[in-house]
Amino acid sequence: MAWKSAMTESAFLDVQDLHVAYGPIKAVRGCSLTVAEGETVAIVGANGAGKSTLLRAVCNLIPRASGKVFFAGSPTAVIPTHVLARRDGMLFVPEDRAVLRTLTVLENLRLSHDARPLGRPFEKATEEVFGHFPRLQERADQPAGSLSGGEQQMLTLARALVSPPRILLLDEPSLGLSPRLVREVYAILRDFRKRGMTMLLVEQNVRAALRFAHRAYVLRQGTIVQQGTGEALLADSGLFRQYLGVH
Amino acid sequence: MLAEQIVNGIVMGSLYALIAQGYTLVFGVLDKLNFAHGEIFMLGGYIGVSSVALGASIPLALLLVMIVCGALGLLVEFVSFRKFRSHDAHITSALSSFAFGLVVLDLVQKSWGTEPVAIELPQTLRVANLEFLGVHFSLVKLSILGIALVLMAALHLAIARTSLGRSIRAVAESATSASLYGINVTRVIQLVFLLASALAGFAGVALAIRTGFASSDVGFTLGIKALAIMAIGGMGDLRGAFLGGLMIGVLEALAFQWGFGQLADTGVWLFMIFVLLVRPTGLFAARSSKEARA
Repeated sequence: MAWKSAMTESAFLDVQDLHVAYGPIKAVRGCSLTVAEGETVAIVGANGAGKSTLLRAVCNLIPRASGKVFFAGSPTAVIPTHVLARRDGMLFVPEDRAVLRTLTVLENLRLSHDARPLGRPFEKATEEVFGHFPRLQERADQPAGSLSGGEQQMLTLARALVSPPRILLLDEPSLGLSPRLVREVYAILRDFRKRGMTMLLVEQNVRAALRFAHRAYVLRQGTIVQQGTGEALLADSGLFRQYLGVH
Repeated sequence: MLAEQIVNGIVMGSLYALIAQGYTLVFGVLDKLNFAHGEIFMLGGYIGVSSVALGASIPLALLLVMIVCGALGLLVEFVSFRKFRSHDAHITSALSSFAFGLVVLDLVQKSWGTEPVAIELPQTLRVANLEFLGVHFSLVKLSILGIALVLMAALHLAIARTSLGRSIRAVAESATSASLYGINVTRVIQLVFLLASALAGFAGVALAIRTGFASSDVGFTLGIKALAIMAIGGMGDLRGAFLGGLMIGVLEALAFQWGFGQLADTGVWLFMIFVLLVRPTGLFAARSSKEARA
């Protein structure tokens, strides 16, 4: 897919000088980043760098101390999380996946579809989803809480298929998964990328994220210290030693 | 005679169950107890009695009560719970809703007096009964039971099968996750208060029709007893509230039948303490209640 630098077109998601604090602790300190429509951007950094906090603040799950976030050209400061999800199509999948454990797999998908049906009947939407995730079809009537970690991650990705978001924010999609499942998850995400889905993901699995993303930002102690294309950052061995604590 | 007492117990139990389901719905989505609920149930009886006195038919009176009590439930949510949603605010919301209930009680006593107010039912309705195997059953009581069961079945189906029900269950599990699914958590909580309070209002009128009068005592007596029934059945579990209500209703009726009526109230509270000690999740909860998981 021909991809153009975000610098050359208007940003779909535009985070400007974002600050987030937990009491006296400043978790995010003046972060600015952009994601263009159809682009895949990764935020990498060591544990505790403020990556998850940044994503949570973008979708208004936690209050911002200061700074601005624009989505599709509109400021999001006073828009509640559920409106960003339902009306604006901002789908955030947190680290713990946040599937509704007491609801069945099918009910989880139906809630996602009901929020943004996009003119497509639920039956048709699930047909496509179960084509990609036959395991979920087998478990359609089971509570989501009974699924394994990998299956729950599949369910969160299936939610993005049943009602495609305008932007998908993923927090640690490979966390706690076996190497085989990580490969499966990234295969699905590559498929999303081919479809032109805009994605912003946070990852501790730095190499997987940089190989996957068009561009990436490196976060350290709440501040963006470096940015560039995934390929360029991957080739920068100094970056790994200096900021990511890996060799 | 025994059969008649058991039916009486089931009728009373269905009203307990209606009130207990209101407590459990609110507890389910907020993890908090609404102490104004019993007084809203009490108020339902007075509005019903007055509506009938002003010429409303029983169905119209029921509808009016459910609308007024439902609206009052929205007010309780706004005043006593909206600002106190955090997990640290259990005591604040409990105190606020308790105070709200006391205000309702005081206003009722100032408006209608402290003595019970009789409901004016047509004589034909009062004496109508059905005979089955030689036993007479009051048509009014059977109607109350029938409508209560229909309401609870409708509530169960709504929670299990509808989009609103899925949203309520989603919020009950996690308000944060629900909001990430695009669910307006505040709207769902409002709807839960509306439903719970409308059902309590219905139970209030039904009790006034069953006993022949509205009384300002019932919020503290029967309303709070329904709270015990919720705990006995399983906090946050609709089925538990239903089965717990019927069980306590029948056991109370049998206690009266066998001459232990004076001990019925104490028995319910002791039973609740016993259940909480040996099975904190309640007798009928299908899964661990939120309280037990905490």
